[in-house]
Amino acid sequence: MESEDDMHDANDIDSLDDDFYSGETEDAPLDYYSDYDDEADDYFEDADRIESRRPEQNFTILKESDIKQRQEEDVTRVATVLSISRIFASILLRYYNWSVSRVHDAWFADEEQVRKTVGLLEKPIVQLDNNTKELTCGICFENYPRARIEMASCGHPYCISCWEGYISTSISDGPGCLMLRCPDPTCGAAVGQDMISLLKSDEDKQKYARYLLRSYIEDNKKSKWCPAPGCEYAVTFDAGSGGNYDVSCLCSYSFCWNCTEEAHRPVDCGTVAKWILKNSAESENMNWILANSKPCPKCKRPIEKNQGCMHMTCTPPCKYEFCWLCLGVWSDHGERTGGFYACNRYETAKQEGVYDDTERRREMAKNSLERYTHYYERWASNQSSRQKALADLQQMQTVHIEKLSDIQCQPESQLKFITEAWLQIIECRRVLKWTYAYGFYLPEHEHAKKQFFEYLQGEAESGLERLHQCAEKELQPFLCADEPSREFNDFRTKLAGLTSVTRNYFENLVRALENGLSDVDSNGASFSRATSSKNAAGSSKSRSGRVKGTFRTSMSSRMNDDSHWCCEHCTYANVKSATTCQMCYQQRR
Amino acid sequence: MANSNLPRRIIKETQRLLSEPAPGISASPSEDNMRYFNVMILGPTQSPYEGGVFKLELFLPEEYPMAAPKVRFLTKIYHPNIDKLGRICLDILKDKWSPALQIRTVLLSIQALLSAPNPDDPLSENIAKHWKSNEAEAVETAKEWTRLYAIGA
Ligand SMILES: [Zn+2]
Ligand SMILES: [Zn+2]
Ligand SMILES: [Zn+2]
Ligand SMILES: [Zn+2]
Ligand SMILES: [Zn+2]
Ligand SMILES: [Zn+2]
Ligand SMILES: [Zn+2]
Repeated sequence: MESEDDMHDANDIDSLDDDFYSGETEDAPLDYYSDYDDEADDYFEDADRIESRRPEQNFTILKESDIKQRQEEDVTRVATVLSISRIFASILLRYYNWSVSRVHDAWFADEEQVRKTVGLLEKPIVQLDNNTKELTCGICFENYPRARIEMASCGHPYCISCWEGYISTSISDGPGCLMLRCPDPTCGAAVGQDMISLLKSDEDKQKYARYLLRSYIEDNKKSKWCPAPGCEYAVTFDAGSGGNYDVSCLCSYSFCWNCTEEAHRPVDCGTVAKWILKNSAESENMNWILANSKPCPKCKRPIEKNQGCMHMTCTPPCKYEFCWLCLGVWSDHGERTGGFYACNRYETAKQEGVYDDTERRREMAKNSLERYTHYYERWASNQSSRQKALADLQQMQTVHIEKLSDIQCQPESQLKFITEAWLQIIECRRVLKWTYAYGFYLPEHEHAKKQFFEYLQGEAESGLERLHQCAEKELQPFLCADEPSREFNDFRTKLAGLTSVTRNYFENLVRALENGLSDVDSNGASFSRATSSKNAAGSSKSRSGRVKGTFRTSMSSRMNDDSHWCCEHCTYANVKSATTCQMCYQQRR
Repeated sequence: MANSNLPRRIIKETQRLLSEPAPGISASPSEDNMRYFNVMILGPTQSPYEGGVFKLELFLPEEYPMAAPKVRFLTKIYHPNIDKLGRICLDILKDKWSPALQIRTVLLSIQALLSAPNPDDPLSENIAKHWKSNEAEAVETAKEWTRLYAIGA
C-alpha cells in the first residue's frame, strides 16, 4: 500500500504552486519571494523554509559568540552540579572532550580517581605556613615576598615571572597548554585559567583563548568547523535524527557532516569516498575531460564551453546545435520532440563474434575505462556547470539584478525569483553530479532498477537543462533591452514555475535514490508509470521525510486537484485552462 | 663578559653540583662560558659500560630553565638510545622537560639510561635491532666499545 504520507507530502508541496498560480494579483508570488535581505540570509532562510516541510533540521550553525556562550554554559552547569570552581569545571570538561555527561558519569562513579588523573587536588601537597613572609621559587631559586609567589592547587611555589615563562612556553608549543600541569614533575596538579591571567602578554592570552575555543569545537564529537576555506562558523550536529548528514553553513557552503566532503545527497559517504579515490587513481586518464573545449561534431572546429547548460551552439557559419555530453544533435534532446534525454545512459558496446582471451580481456579493460569515463565526464560536467552557475549567481547579484531593475522598471525585491532560480540550479547541479557516481556503482545486473534510474536521471538532466537555459539564455534579451518588455512577466512566470517544478522533481529524486529505488521490483515490469491519482489530499499529519520509495506515485499524483492538471510526461503542474503542457508542449491526455 | 648576568638559578645549581656531586657524576662549568659544562659519567656497575668513563657536554640555552639543557655524549658508546653523534633519546630532554628539573636530575637520568637501555624507543635503529635480536651479543659489543673508547682515554 502506498503510504498516505507521500500523497500528503506531494500535495503539500504543490500547495505552494497553488498559491503561486492561483493568485489573482501579481502580489501573491511576490509575497512569497519578498522577505529577503542579504544573500547569506536568503540562502539560509530559504533552507529553513524548505526544512519546515521536511524533517527537523538536525544541525545548528554557531558563530564565535555562540560557541563562547555554549562553552560558558557547559562550564557553569558542571561547576554547579559538581560543586566545584568554574576553573576546575573547565579543566574537567577539556579532559573529557567537552562532554558534560561524560564528566558527570566519571565524577559520580569515582570522584577520587577523577581528581587524581585530571589533577584537581582537594588540598595542597605543600602546606604553607601562614607566617611565611618569603618563599623560594622552585624554578629560579630566588626568594620572593609571599605576594610575588603563585601556585596551583598543589601549593608548589613559583614566582610570577617563572610562571609566565612556563605558561607562555607551553602556549607557544600548541594546544597542549590547555592540559598544563604544575612544573614539578612529580606533582601533576592541573594549571587552570586563573594562572593564565597572570600573563602580561595579551598575545599569549589571546592565543590561549583561541585554543580553548577551538578545543570546544575540535575535541567535541558533536561539533566541527565548517570546512569551507576562510569560513569561521562551526556546526553542531544532532546525530539522533536519521540518515541525513547534509549541513548548510551560513557561508552558503553545504557539506556532509559525516565525511566533511561537499554535500553529496543522494549518494552515501562510502560511495563518495570510493568515487573520489577512483577519480584520483584515474586522474591522468581523465585530464582531457576537464578540458573546456571539444570539436564541433559537424565542422570539427574546437568550440569552447563557456556556459552552464549543456546545449551548445557552434559559432557561425556552422551554428550546429549539439549536446556537450553526448555530442548528439540537440533536436534529439528537445522538449518538443517528445524524446527524453538519453545521453545520461551508458550502453556497453555490443560485442559480437569470437574473441580469444587476450582480445576479450583488452576489450573488457577498454570497456571498463570507457564506462568510467562516461560517468566521470558527466559528473565533472555538472561540477563545472555548478561552478559556472555559482559565478553567474554572483554576477547576477552584484551587477545584473540592478541593471535589470533599471531596464525593466521593477524593484529589486521583485527580481528575487532570478536569484531563487540560480540557487536552485546550483543545488540541482550538485545532486545531478552525484547521481553519476550513483549510476556508476549501480549493479549492472539489476536491469529494471538501472533502467528506471536512467529514466529518472534523464528527466532530471532535461528538467534542469530547461531551467538552466531559461535562467541563462532567455534572460539575456531582457538585460539588453532598452525599455521595459511586456514579455517580462511571462518570463517571470516561466522561470519561477520552472524553479518550483525542478525543485520538487529533485527533492523526489533524492528521496527515491536514497531509498535505493526500492519500489522497483528487480525482475522487470519496471516503469510503467502509475497514473492513478485519486485522493491526493491524504489526511495523515506525519511529514516524515523517510518516505518509502513511492516516487512515481508521488510524482504523478501531485496536483490533480480542481485548478491544475499534472503533465503525464514531465510532471509539470499546469493550470486547468492549458491544453498542452506549458513545459514540454505535450498534449494533455 | 657573557657570564656577568648569569641567572641566580644557574649559579646556585653550579655551586651545588660542585659542592655535593652526585655519585658517579661530575659536572664543571667551562672557564670562559658558565653555561657550558664538561660532564663525566661513570659506567654504572653491572652494566656493559661498567669501568668506563664517559665524557659528555652539557649546554644551558638562553631559555633555560624554560627550555631543556642540551646534552650529548663525546665518548663513543654502543647504546640503543644514543646515536653515533652522541645525541640522547630521553623524554625529559624533549617534551617531558619541566623547569622544575635541574642539571643534576638530567645527569642522573642519563646514568640510569646506561643501566637500563630501552631498545623499544630507539635512536639508533641498528643497535636497537641488534639488542632485540641478540641481546647477549649486543651487550658484548657494548662492553667491547667501552674497553676501546671509554677506558684509559
Ligand atoms: Zn605542584
Ligand atoms: Zn622564579
Ligand atoms: Zn561555512
Ligand atoms: Zn558524507
Ligand atoms: Zn560547427
Ligand atoms: Zn546528449
Ligand atoms: Zn509536460
